[in-house]
Amino acid sequence: MKPTHLALTSALVLAPMAGAAQETLSLYNWGDYINPEVLDAFTEETGIAVTLDTYGSNEEMLAKIQAGATGYDIVFPSVHMHDILFQLGLLAKTDIGQAPGFENIDPQFIRAKTDPEAEYCLPYAWGNVGIVYNKALAGEISSWEEFFALGSEGQKITVLDDLRETIGIGLIMTGSPVNSTDPAEVEAAADYIVDHLQGVTAFTYDSVPQVISGDVAAAHWYVGANIFVADNSDTIAYVIPEEGATLYQEDMCVLTSAPNPEAAKKFLEFYLRPEIAALNVKQQMNGTPNIPAQDLIPEEIASNPTIYPPQEVIDRLQIFEDLGRDLQLYNTEWTRIKTAQ
Amino acid sequence: MTLARRKLLQLIGLLGVPSVFLLVFFLCPLVIMLIYSGLTPGLYGGVDWVFSHLNYGRILGWADTRYEKFDPVYLAIFLRSLRLAALTVLASLLISYPAAFWISRMRPARRDFAIFLVTLPFFVSLIVRLFAWVLILRPTGFLNQGLMGLGLTSAPVEFLYTDFAVILGMTYVFIPFMFLPLYGSLEKLDMTQIEASADLGASRLQTFRKVVLPATLPGIIGGSIITFIPALGNFIVPSVLGGAKVLMIGNLIEQQFLSARNWPFGSALAMLVMTAVLVLLVVQLRLARREGMS
Repeated sequence: MKPTHLALTSALVLAPMAGAAQETLSLYNWGDYINPEVLDAFTEETGIAVTLDTYGSNEEMLAKIQAGATGYDIVFPSVHMHDILFQLGLLAKTDIGQAPGFENIDPQFIRAKTDPEAEYCLPYAWGNVGIVYNKALAGEISSWEEFFALGSEGQKITVLDDLRETIGIGLIMTGSPVNSTDPAEVEAAADYIVDHLQGVTAFTYDSVPQVISGDVAAAHWYVGANIFVADNSDTIAYVIPEEGATLYQEDMCVLTSAPNPEAAKKFLEFYLRPEIAALNVKQQMNGTPNIPAQDLIPEEIASNPTIYPPQEVIDRLQIFEDLGRDLQLYNTEWTRIKTAQ
Repeated sequence: MTLARRKLLQLIGLLGVPSVFLLVFFLCPLVIMLIYSGLTPGLYGGVDWVFSHLNYGRILGWADTRYEKFDPVYLAIFLRSLRLAALTVLASLLISYPAAFWISRMRPARRDFAIFLVTLPFFVSLIVRLFAWVLILRPTGFLNQGLMGLGLTSAPVEFLYTDFAVILGMTYVFIPFMFLPLYGSLEKLDMTQIEASADLGASRLQTFRKVVLPATLPGIIGGSIITFIPALGNFIVPSVLGGAKVLMIGNLIEQQFLSARNWPFGSALAMLVMTAVLVLLVVQLRLARREGMS
């Protein structure tokens, strides 16, 4: 009791003083992708005020930064975008890999090819992209085949409005790698999607409320659906399809244009602490690369096989890599898919 | 001399600000887009300064390389956008014309309040309003529950993620754009002319066709154009209410600039839209001039 009391009192006393020349830190993150309590805890401890802006896709973030948006310290790119940002010279060196506490990070999550020693970015969070379904309408489903079968049976399904993710399902189902750059393979994958469009009512991210309400039977969505499953466990469920799925991971990176590089480095180090990573997982319900944090997260999350799958399931997950120019192969096919109906 | 000079200075003063404004906010972006549309896409967005005619070739028919292939689908999407935008204009006109007529005949205090009501939706974010339409139109939404409650339908009707939803959403968004110019010309309508027309034995329909319609034609044309242009390039409504499946040219352009990282192709598509809009404006100018001469 006493120490908390003291901390609280000193916080109250010191806060106005800190306000005189307050340090700030500005994050640019995906929408709803960090627990606000983590930011509060950081401000409480360091006196650094945190502002948070959000984006909806890697490309949106890249386009803004390329167009000259400044004022952001930290961004949260997916691994392939981490590589792109590095190649464009937009990332500042942090040597986070040398920081005390980095031994907490599971080395298999240092994935970016351009940053093998974690000299720039800190692995932040990871998850998979599978299916969220309405139990009453869809029954128990466990595969992409059953997902698309719902569509041909007259039920409604949705897929993500994301060219890599949705063509990715086609690649998985036609036995090609999700980073294929073979035009014939990409075309075959797009054909698979086109052939299974019956019942696909929309390409959208806004699907979980519709699965809950029963407007659609099942939706291609992220593991974060578990947040909604926790509140609606009688109605909906989330599954990693048997055929395999995609894996995503975001890293926490400091920009060369960061106005507050020191505060940014402090935040990266702060996030290395197991209790802070666990605090984030508690609300986000996704995977953390921080090994000791996994012992601190609530049991129902740690034991959820869709969030922390067994190794043989992890082995069936594939992560997107940057395709360079070959992205244009997907671009053409994507337009074809969207106009096929 | 001094008078002529003063006139010249006055002219510069009057035209200077709008000219600079147009130069900076209209002509410059347009020129950038025109240049970009003839370049090669940069690896990570942006452009490489290498000339390429293939961006237009993809749309118009001569491109055939690994990354740039002609596909009639782009023109098909453009035609669909023209159709949806035209239907939006028609629907907005059919709703706004009687409404504007009615409001222009109200007492001043009520009239001002009514105009305030027309502009009221602008106070709320467009995205929020569109998601409200999702709640109304979806199979378990208010509209379907209402229809089934009244016994008019036995199963939910597919409203959401259709062309209908997109036209409805765009009409809803652009009605104020149509309403205000219409109101402007209807308010100036001389009621004594209508009375005269009736006195001379014209039927109501004849009065409307021969007196009211010609007098308000500038408002109709103006409203139609400023509704058509943003409707043609709209991408939010087809994305939210069309489920990104009712693909419009705006969605295609957005895709080129963001997820596909192909700015030159996006610029070429945007030039296509600009050309269509310019043709339309020229036609309108011609119509207006003929109007002025007759």
